[in-house]
Amino acid sequence: MPGDAMILTALAIGVPWAAAVLTAVIRRHSRVIGFAAASVSVAASLLLLRAAPVRESLNEALMVLFSCLTLGATLVLPRRDSNPGTISGILFLLGSTLLAYSTNNLWVLLSAWILSTVPFFPEQWFGARTWRPRLALLLSSAALALAITLIAVHGHAMSIAGLKGRSPGGMSVFGLLVLAVIFRKGICPAHAWVADAAEFGPAIPTALLLNGHFGAMLVAKLIMPLFPNTARDLFPLLSYLALATALYVAIRALTENSPRRLLAFLALSQSACILAGLESRTAEGITGALVHWFVVTVSTVGLFGVLRLLEVRFGENLTASRYLGLAQHAPRLAVFFIVFALALVGLPGTLSFCSQDLLIHGTLESHPQTGLLLPIATAMNAVSVFRLFARLFLGKRRTGFTVMADALPRERWILTVGALFVVMGGLFPNAIVARRAAEAEAVEQAMCVPMPPLQLFTSPNGGRRQNLR
Amino acid sequence: MDYLQTMLVFVVLTPGVVFAVFALLWLAGWVPAERVVSTITGAAFSASILALAVVLWRLAATGAPAVTVTFGSWFTVHDYRFPLVLMADRLSLPFLGMTVVLAGLIGQFSATYLHREPGFLRFFLLLHLFAFGSLLAFAAGSFDLLVAGWEIVGITSVLLIAFFQQRTAPVENALHVFAVYRACDIGLLVAVFAMHNWSGTASFAGGLPPLAGSRASTLCLLLLLAAAGKSAQVPFSGWLPRAMEGPTPSSAIFYGAISIHAGAYLLLRVQPMLAQSSLASAMVIAIGLATAIHGTMCGRASADAKTSLAYASLTQVGVVFVEIGIGWKSIALAHILGHATVRTLQFLRAPSMLHDYHTMHSAVGGELSPTGKHLEELFSARAQLWLYRWSLDRGHLDTILDRFVIHPLMRLSRLFARLDSKGLDQSLSLREAPASTHIAAGREGI
Repeated sequence: MPGDAMILTALAIGVPWAAAVLTAVIRRHSRVIGFAAASVSVAASLLLLRAAPVRESLNEALMVLFSCLTLGATLVLPRRDSNPGTISGILFLLGSTLLAYSTNNLWVLLSAWILSTVPFFPEQWFGARTWRPRLALLLSSAALALAITLIAVHGHAMSIAGLKGRSPGGMSVFGLLVLAVIFRKGICPAHAWVADAAEFGPAIPTALLLNGHFGAMLVAKLIMPLFPNTARDLFPLLSYLALATALYVAIRALTENSPRRLLAFLALSQSACILAGLESRTAEGITGALVHWFVVTVSTVGLFGVLRLLEVRFGENLTASRYLGLAQHAPRLAVFFIVFALALVGLPGTLSFCSQDLLIHGTLESHPQTGLLLPIATAMNAVSVFRLFARLFLGKRRTGFTVMADALPRERWILTVGALFVVMGGLFPNAIVARRAAEAEAVEQAMCVPMPPLQLFTSPNGGRRQNLR
Repeated sequence: MDYLQTMLVFVVLTPGVVFAVFALLWLAGWVPAERVVSTITGAAFSASILALAVVLWRLAATGAPAVTVTFGSWFTVHDYRFPLVLMADRLSLPFLGMTVVLAGLIGQFSATYLHREPGFLRFFLLLHLFAFGSLLAFAAGSFDLLVAGWEIVGITSVLLIAFFQQRTAPVENALHVFAVYRACDIGLLVAVFAMHNWSGTASFAGGLPPLAGSRASTLCLLLLLAAAGKSAQVPFSGWLPRAMEGPTPSSAIFYGAISIHAGAYLLLRVQPMLAQSSLASAMVIAIGLATAIHGTMCGRASADAKTSLAYASLTQVGVVFVEIGIGWKSIALAHILGHATVRTLQFLRAPSMLHDYHTMHSAVGGELSPTGKHLEELFSARAQLWLYRWSLDRGHLDTILDRFVIHPLMRLSRLFARLDSKGLDQSLSLREAPASTHIAAGREGI
């Protein structure tokens, strides 16, 4: 890594960590410190992205995305939640996530992976009041630790770049890495912890934890480049599991009445598609997965943000079992909610329309039978998210309270930025898609094993659709 | 870009731009007066009608088959591209004309009809978004772009059904319609994928992809699924009476005129391919015929004006499907235009139906006989009773859908919920409380 990049990376990671400590110590001006630290991270990540070659800029792009999300979170966080503990936790999570994205060393990756979970263990911090999130995070960390230890025991170098294509540790390490992905990402049957964390933990920090997408990162950064042959042969199994998860969770969401759980299921279902796209081994599928990564992240954090804002206004007992009629009290929050919701499920005019289009093409091409599950799951998710919107915002206007605040300017403008990202990205997608396509090519080439495309349909032009090699 | 192309782009984009401007200004805190909204709406649609008239006139004068505007690709990934092509040909121009004229008329009608309605601005925003979606779908030069317009029409339709949001019935019905739309749209998405895969493109600006045999049949059947969903054909007809919960002007333009005919447009667009597949053609005819019979029977047992009109509309669209299946393209097109115009008028007059009836009654000297009575008399009393019950329950379509699709899915969902709750501390589960106990916060803590 060149010297400038090293300094910028250190700034992007170190400043949030330092700010986290500072916030915890002085216990004042938490939001200001959080905003300033996240701003430094955004600026440093942007400079890193600018300097990175287009084909190898995925890590930097993810750094920008996550630091922007954290910046938004520090602003949109309700005053009730904006305490030193929450802000320092969010900043700690930011630093850990950026470290995981940026590192090229397996030990550092493991440290970042574990550190990012630390705030979610103690109940006094972000820990949920149930055991499943803690167990899942623990098991995923243990699986990754074991895999990396095995690699070290086999005497391999610990640089990711140096291990490319060498299948270090063989099947056992591959299996452990896949296990780490399953637990961290919430792939069936290890999916229940995601809803528990969303239901019983703090909404916005949990959304940030889920949207670090460490599972997908591990696939793109480690599994596919390090185990190209094994991944080619066995990875479709993970893809089938991901598609099954997308469908299972979509069905599960149909009768869920807790808004937080419902949102967690929707986020999980949509983000499971990322894994399926990454595994599709087609240019469209991988690009769609990367674009979808961005859309799901922004939309999910936006939705959890709006939900939290509703909770602090109307009480934490929001339910989708009856009509609450909140749109007449908070029409702008209703609009933000529906924009993020529809952006999550592929409405035209939003970026997810493009990502879903690419994902459906990619997965249907590589797995024609199971690929059909993707549009079916998305259709169900659309119904569930519309039901949630209807139950929260439509219906008879509630009476019995006098003062009711819609989105405050601070919240309104940060939510507008998020909504503009998904909408403008949908209207002019090429700026985002082209860059992700170049990165997808790099991800695809990392597997560097020629393979025939698996096709149910064969084109008359003699297999026009080729893989990227 | 020559001026004809500019005109076409102007026609398609104008409602979208008006929607975007109003929406952004509202987000910024500005609520425009009703007069401003209706004036701008009138001006926008008038300008669109004029621009489209110029396009029509020039095409007729020069004998050119179509105006095509190519913007390149919306996005490209390797060899997959999403073409951004607008096209106004002899099929799409009538639909474009119908959309701008009827949307403009509905805009003017609604300015009075919805005067002082709390959702006045929301209605006009959705009207513009709907017009944009429809124009995009009808002017699309590729199926990719058609999908975009198609989905926008779907979501605006659903939001307008839920327009009277303070009542729960419209909202529930909107959700039902949304579910049917999304389920049927899977056919369109998979068809577009198959087109890309089989012929390398989903563009039809230079003619339909050259497909025949089983591939043509598969594509047509997938598109038929989407068309049947959008046009409320059997077995998806159950959503149409539910959609009548929306305000009358939106019912008129959606279910009397434009949205209900979008499925027919899709089939007309692929009619050359449809003609190559006897299976798909037969399916189109069978579905159309079944819908026409279903529509006329259920319409006769409907107790309210809008639902009767909706079923009358359904009957005609069923007949249009039959015409398309047989291959009578021009007749189907003329039928659509005539039907859309008359039905819009009927819907808009629906709130004054009693007044109209009394006027007519007086005009003919009190001798108005009930229509259709002679048809019912052809059946035995027992058959009449059975048919009446069948029609009253709208062909049991919703019952069948509930029993065989929705209920099993819900049972499965509850089973998954039980499985998921294993191991969860029950004392923690679901923090529900009556909504009335919510403590509203002002700005404290926000």
